[in-house]
Amino acid sequence: MSSASTATPAKHAFERRVEGVKSPKNDINALILDYLTMEGYPNAAARFSKEAKLQPQQDTSAIRARQQIQNCIHSGNIQTAIETLNELDPEILDKDKALRFSLLRLQLVELIRVCNASGGDIGPALKFATEQLGPPASTNPAFLEDLETTMALLLFNSDSLEPQLAALLDPSLRRDAADRVNRAILERQSTRREAAIRQLVKMRAWAEGAAREKGGGLPERLDLGLGGDESQSQTWRGSGSENGHESMMTT
Amino acid sequence: MSSPEPHGSSGFTDSESSAESLEFQEHQYTATHTSAPPGEGGGYNFYTHPARTSVLDANGDLVLDPTLRLGPAPAANSTEMDYAAAQGDTANVWRTPGGSLPSFSRAFDFFASEPTSATVDDDRFFVPSYLKGSTYVQKLEEAYNKKLEAQKEVKRTKGNGQDISASSLSTTPLPGGAHRGMLHTVLERAPFDDGDSLAPLPRHWNTADMWTSIEVMPNMLGLKFSGPKNHHERDHEASAIRADHFMPPQCGIYYYEVHIISGKQDDTTIAIGFSTKTASLSRPVGWEPESWGYHGDDGRCFTGQNIGRSYGPSFTTGDVIGCGVNFRDHTAFWTKNGHMLGFAVQDIPRHKLYPSVSLKKQGEEILVNFGQEPFVYNIDDLMNEQRESIQRAIQRTDTSHLEPGMNETDLIQTLVLQFLQHDGYVETARAFAEDMKLQKEALNLNPDVTVDGVNIKDDEDANNRQRIRQAILDGEIDQALKYTDMYYPQVLQDNEQVYFKLRCRKFIEMVRKAAELSIKYDGKRGGDQEMDLDLNGSHGWGDNMETDGGDHRAELTKLENKMLKYGQSLQGEYAGDSRKEIGKALNEIWALVAYKNPLKEPQVSHLLEEKGRVTVAEELNSAILSSLGKSSRASLETLYAQTSVLLEDLRKDGGPGAFVSLQDVVDSIQQFPQV
Repeated sequence: MSSASTATPAKHAFERRVEGVKSPKNDINALILDYLTMEGYPNAAARFSKEAKLQPQQDTSAIRARQQIQNCIHSGNIQTAIETLNELDPEILDKDKALRFSLLRLQLVELIRVCNASGGDIGPALKFATEQLGPPASTNPAFLEDLETTMALLLFNSDSLEPQLAALLDPSLRRDAADRVNRAILERQSTRREAAIRQLVKMRAWAEGAAREKGGGLPERLDLGLGGDESQSQTWRGSGSENGHESMMTT
Repeated sequence: MSSPEPHGSSGFTDSESSAESLEFQEHQYTATHTSAPPGEGGGYNFYTHPARTSVLDANGDLVLDPTLRLGPAPAANSTEMDYAAAQGDTANVWRTPGGSLPSFSRAFDFFASEPTSATVDDDRFFVPSYLKGSTYVQKLEEAYNKKLEAQKEVKRTKGNGQDISASSLSTTPLPGGAHRGMLHTVLERAPFDDGDSLAPLPRHWNTADMWTSIEVMPNMLGLKFSGPKNHHERDHEASAIRADHFMPPQCGIYYYEVHIISGKQDDTTIAIGFSTKTASLSRPVGWEPESWGYHGDDGRCFTGQNIGRSYGPSFTTGDVIGCGVNFRDHTAFWTKNGHMLGFAVQDIPRHKLYPSVSLKKQGEEILVNFGQEPFVYNIDDLMNEQRESIQRAIQRTDTSHLEPGMNETDLIQTLVLQFLQHDGYVETARAFAEDMKLQKEALNLNPDVTVDGVNIKDDEDANNRQRIRQAILDGEIDQALKYTDMYYPQVLQDNEQVYFKLRCRKFIEMVRKAAELSIKYDGKRGGDQEMDLDLNGSHGWGDNMETDGGDHRAELTKLENKMLKYGQSLQGEYAGDSRKEIGKALNEIWALVAYKNPLKEPQVSHLLEEKGRVTVAEELNSAILSSLGKSSRASLETLYAQTSVLLEDLRKDGGPGAFVSLQDVVDSIQQFPQV
C-alpha cells in the first residue's frame, strides 16, 4: 500500500468519514506551539507564535536552557549537561536518584566509547565507574545490574557485541536520556511531562489497535498522507536534497 | 410496548386489568387536574391527536396522562418564559414587541420540542457530574445549542413574516431529552439508532411507559404508589415505570440514584434497576425477563427471574440507592447510601436499557436523580478510574506501525515539519529544520558522515499564503483581499462562500474598530485620568482633552458611517439570497450594530473575537491549496481526524472510546503556566 492518491476510484467509507470530521486549526496550532516549546525548539517556537499569532507558552530563554542541556546529552557531553542542569535546578538530580544514575551511566558509556575508539587506556573509565557509580549501585540492585552490563562493554570488542550491549552504544540511549531529563525539568515547571502531540499520536495508535480488535470494516492501512503527494514536503527518509530555485521573495 | 398479558399471572384476566387501570387513571386525572387552569380544552387537541401521540398504554387502555393537564394552559407565555430564561434573553432582539405569536407557530414550537409545561423544569440542560468533559456530553451540548439556534430561527423567520420551513425543523436533531414524555412517544418512532443520531440522557419518568397505580409528581421525578390498600394482593404483582430514554451506551458508565422517601420498615417492596421495553411493567423490576433489579424488602438482586441471589442489605425510608451499568464490560452494580455494593450482573445484553423502578404497597414513595443533582455515591471516582486505566493503556501503546520506518520521535518531527510547510509557516519551518539539524549532528557518532539537513525550499506559494494569512490575522481584510486577487485571482471567484465570509469579517473588523474607539472615547469623557494615561501615554492631560474628545467623536462617526454603508451594501447584495447560512451570517453580524458597544455584550462579543480571524484565514488557505491541486489537509490534521473517527467507533456501544476524549489532549495544553 503506498501513498493515498485522491484519484483512488472507490474511497473507503472510513476515509469519507475522516474527511467529514473537523480538525480545528486553533487546536492544531496549539499542539504545534506546545510541541516546539515542550521539546525544546526555541527558535521555531518563537517564530511560530509570531507567524500564527499565538501567545508564547514559555519564555524563549527557558526553552533555550532546556535545549542546551538536551544538546549536551545528545552530543555525549554528559558532564556539562549535569553541571548545567544543577545550575538550573539542583533539586532535580538530588531528588531523582534514578535519573542521576542513568546520566552517570551514560557518562561511563561515553568514556568507554572514547577508549574503544582510540583502542587506548581504560583507566579513566574504570576510575569513573568505581568512584561515581559504585556507591549508588551498592544501594540499589537495579543500579548494580545496569552498572554490570555497562562494564561488560569493556570486556568485548565493540565490533562483536551482543545486541543488548550494542544498544548501549547506540545514540538512541543519548536521546532517551535527554528526553528523560527534559521531562524532569518540565515536570518542575508545569503539570505535564510531555508534549500533548505525543498523547495524540499514541491515542491514534491505540484507537486503531482497539478498533481493529473489535473488528469493524477499517481499511487495510490508515494512511497519514506523508507518502508525498505533497511535493514540498521532505521527510527524514527522503532527504535527497535537490536544491530548489532560490527565493524570489524574501520577507 | 409488548406483553399485554402480565407474565405468569394466573387467573388474572385482561378485562379485569383494563377496568381497574382505567379506574385508576381517572382517579389520577382528577387528582392532578385541579391545578390546571380552566378553559383550555381546545388546546389539547394537538396532543391527543392520534397521529401524533400514542394515547394507549401497555394495555391498550386510554391513557389520560396527568401531565397533559398541567401542560399547555399558559403555553405561549411559559414557552416564552422558558425560552428567555434558557437564552439569557438573547432572543429579545428578535422578539416582536407584542410577544403574541400566531397560533400556528405556537403549535409548531411544541413540535420543535419546546417545554410545554410550566411545572417541569425540563428544558434545562444538565450534565451528570461523572460525564463532565466527555465527548458524549460535548456532542449533546452541541446538539442542544443547535436546537436553541433552530428555535431562534423560528422566531426570527416569524419576525420577518416569512414562512417556516417545516423540513428544516423536522430534520433538526433532537437532543438531550429536551421534550416531554408525551412528545417522546412520537419521537420514539424516529430512528434513534440511526447511527449518527445522538441518544439523549434519561431526564425523567415516562408517564406513557408505566403500569397503573403510580402517581407521578409534577416534576416527573417523584413517584408515589397510588393504589388502594392490598391492591397488589398477589406477591408477583407490582407497578413499574421506566424513564423517558434508555441509558446511552456512549456514556461508558451510566448511573442514577433513587431516594426512598417513604416505605414500610422491614418491608419496603420497592425495586430499583433497569429493563428493556419488552419487560412487563406489572411485576417487580428484576423478575421479568430483560429486567434487572435490587429489591428493598430482602436486599436480593434479581436478573430476569423470580429467584434472586442475596446481594446487599435491605433498604427503606431515607436510604439512597444507586444503580449503574458499565457498558464497557457489560456489568451492573448498585450502591446504598454512597457505598458500592459490588458488581452484581454480568453479560448484560446490548439492548436499550431504561432506568426502571417498581412500587408495590401503599405509602411507598421515591424521588429519582438522573444527574440533575449531585450524587450521594462518588461515581466520579469510579469513572476516573476507568479513564485512567485507559490512559495507561494509551501511554503503553507502541506507535511504530503508524508510519513504517519511523519511531515516535521521528514521526512527530516529520508531522510537525510537514504541517508547517503545508500551511505556509515558512519562517517557522526553516527555524525548526535548523534546530532539527543541530540535534541530528549532535547525535551523529560518525564524524565522517555529514548530516543532511532538511532543505526548506523557498516556496513562493508558501510565502504568498503566509502573507495573506498574516493580513487576516492582523484584521487587515482589505489587504488580504488585495493579495489574494494579486496572487490567486481565481480563488475568490471560485470560492464564493469564502469570499462572503471574508467580507463579513471585514464588516466585523469595522465594528471592532468602532467599538474600540468608542471605549477610548468613553474613557476620556469620563475624565478618568489613569485611563487617559494608559491610552495616550505621551499625551499631556488637561487642555488637550476637549479637542481630543472632539477628534475621537468625529473619527468615530466617520467610522460608523463607513461601517453602516459597507454593511448595507453587503446586505443589499445578498438580500435575495435564499441560502440559510448566508442569511444567518448576515443577521448575526447585523445584530452587532444593535448594541452601543458590542465588545461589552456577552451575547455578541464572541463574534468579535480574534479567534474568528483564524477560522477565516484557514478557510481561505484551504481554498488556495485546493486551487493549487494540493491536499487541503496536512498529515497531522488527517491523524487528528482519523483519531476522532476511531474514537467515535469505540464509543458507540459504550466501548473504551467512551472514556477517552480528544478534547482533553488539547485542553491539557492550557495547563502549561504562562511563564
